[in-house]
Amino acid sequence: MRAEEGQKRRLMKQAFEARRRFRARHRTYRGETSPLKHVGVPEGLYEKCKRCGERFVKDDILENKMVCPSCDSHFRLRAIDRLNMTVDEGTFIEKGLGYISLNPLFQEDYEQKLAENRERTGADEAFIYGYGEIKGIPCVLGVLDSHFMMGSMGSVVGEKVVKSVEYALVRRLPLVLFIASGGARMQEGIYSLMQMAKTAGAIQKLNQQDLLYISILTHPTTGGVSASFASLGDIILAEPEALIGFAGPRVIKQTIKQELPEGFQSAEFLLEKGMLDKIVHRHAMKDTLYRLLYLHEKGARL
Amino acid sequence: MMVKKVLVANRGEVAVRIIRACRAMEIETVAIYSAADADELHVHLADDAVCVGGAAAQGSYLNMENILSAALNTGCEAIHPGYGFLSENSRFVKLCESVGLTFVGPSAEVIAKMGDKSTAKKLMKAAGVPLVPGSAEEVELEEGKQLAESIGFPVLIKASAGGGGRGMRIVRKVEDFESAFQAARYEAEAAFGHGGVYLEKYVENPRHIEVQILADEYGNTLHLGERDCSIQRRNQKIIEEAPAILPDALKERMYEAAIRAATHVGYTNAGTVEFIVEGESFYFIEMNTRLQVEHPVTEAITGVDLVREQLRIASGESLAFDQEAVTFNGHAIEARINAEEPREKFRPAPGRVSFLHLPQGPGIRFDSLLYTDGDIQPHYDSMVGKLIVRGDDRADAIQRMSSALDELIIAGEGALRTNRPFLSMLMLQREFKDNEIDTGFVERHLERLLSYES
Repeated sequence: MRAEEGQKRRLMKQAFEARRRFRARHRTYRGETSPLKHVGVPEGLYEKCKRCGERFVKDDILENKMVCPSCDSHFRLRAIDRLNMTVDEGTFIEKGLGYISLNPLFQEDYEQKLAENRERTGADEAFIYGYGEIKGIPCVLGVLDSHFMMGSMGSVVGEKVVKSVEYALVRRLPLVLFIASGGARMQEGIYSLMQMAKTAGAIQKLNQQDLLYISILTHPTTGGVSASFASLGDIILAEPEALIGFAGPRVIKQTIKQELPEGFQSAEFLLEKGMLDKIVHRHAMKDTLYRLLYLHEKGARL
Repeated sequence: MMVKKVLVANRGEVAVRIIRACRAMEIETVAIYSAADADELHVHLADDAVCVGGAAAQGSYLNMENILSAALNTGCEAIHPGYGFLSENSRFVKLCESVGLTFVGPSAEVIAKMGDKSTAKKLMKAAGVPLVPGSAEEVELEEGKQLAESIGFPVLIKASAGGGGRGMRIVRKVEDFESAFQAARYEAEAAFGHGGVYLEKYVENPRHIEVQILADEYGNTLHLGERDCSIQRRNQKIIEEAPAILPDALKERMYEAAIRAATHVGYTNAGTVEFIVEGESFYFIEMNTRLQVEHPVTEAITGVDLVREQLRIASGESLAFDQEAVTFNGHAIEARINAEEPREKFRPAPGRVSFLHLPQGPGIRFDSLLYTDGDIQPHYDSMVGKLIVRGDDRADAIQRMSSALDELIIAGEGALRTNRPFLSMLMLQREFKDNEIDTGFVERHLERLLSYES
């Protein structure tokens, strides 16, 4: 009985196949025949997870705070999205507007590159800061955007970081900085390196005034930024699997000619070695920041 | 008062069609069957079934005495004859009337009048319905020859008792007249038991247009539009459509003539007035005093259930709607699915159905006697089903028919073949799509229509 049923299914398949061929041979087009138009998926409609390879509709991913629904991998965030998911709606007031990078070392293509980055991201520079509230608690919030020249620190980023610290000092507010940076900006050479000392010095002032500074290290936090203000937080948080380090693993390997431990420079590795206070999932970030800010408020009680 | 129990004096798809209509009206049905047909669909569907004779139709479906006793023994009030068999047999109708059974159709008198072609033509002439020029009555050889010369060749010799293309001859030259005349007579004698023939002008490749009529017993007669049955092969219809793509003024004149024809003879129940159309003129050819095979195309565009109306009229009810209420929506096409091999001169190719897949979806209807593992009998007509589609317009209907035919699978063991690929090919022809159709269409394009890959 089973074999017979299969036979009938095959019969139907074959008949339909033959008729498709028949129709293809005798197809009459109503108008001009046109070659098949190649229809592509518009750019940016889908986001592919770099770790598990799954594809998702971008809007769905954004809804999930740019975290892969399948493998929990944290994607890179634009500064605007980071702010949207961190501060209370309508409370953010951007400060330090109007700073534009110049080309102090007359580097070829630097100005053009800056213009391109401004055009693409809609931001003036890689760092945004301002006043914001997290579940009602006021603070100064700064975000480094790795989409703008890899969040690298030149004179403007350094200056704006210092301005954010000074704003926190004046308003006597806690400072929360989200870091994502490739390090000092090569195109500005020594001016970039100078920003390391300058920002570290500013944080020192914050310390002296007993103001809270929370730095959140996200993927990637490297180079001159990790070697300066990023690592000076009173509390240092990180996102899961964020790359945190100074030089990249390949450079180190070539220099010391040794195998590097597994997971070297990952947030998890650094936590184990005592370099971080906590790894916080992006979904829990706002709550965690709120709790920390609340506990450090004047007269706070557990 | 509606009839409560009906004997369906037919087999195959039309018996199934009538039984379904009865079931929908809560009328009990009795099927009749021949010894070969015990497992036919209509036998299974009916409330009761009576075997009326052997496999040959002569002893069963044409056996009046047996059918009448079956009806009386099962307590039927009416007999629905379907089409073919006894549907236009006035003797049978008279018998029904004499034993008190309602015959679903016109009276014996009307059937007799319209069934005899020369009487019918006389009546139509009197009613002012245009006729093909020719002899009004049966003619003998010499008389016929003279008349043929006066109306001009080609002429057609037709059996006055016939139908379905038998006893029919076309004569193009006067020299051929005698032999053709004798052959027609002989054929008519053999087929219908009556050798009378008549003569008329042969209209070469006309369109075959017929008007559907409904008339009740209270003098209300209306038409349900026309059908174009021009796609024929040897006078056997293959494709039927409604409406016909013809000028409205011409169609109006035909409707009017058809109603005049029906009222003039006191017609009741459903009937069809057939015309041939050449250019702007039309000629009456015959009236079918019964349900037509192609009635579903009219149903598809008017929404009227013709079998139900037949049963209502036969039950003595008056028409439930008037002419104004009849509207035509869209375009319908019917394709007759025959168990035959088109490549071998359309010889019947019956067999057992091992696998059946029917097209479905909006605007598709399949009236059929088929079921999986059922037999197609070699003893009767090779038509096994009718595929009817309805579309917004003709092009849409053709496209739907094409795709429905693509989906239809009637697979059988051994010799079973159908004309499905032939019909599929027909739907593809540019001339068909462009409405360049007449009764010569299939002959003209036969080679192309058979050029499908099997």
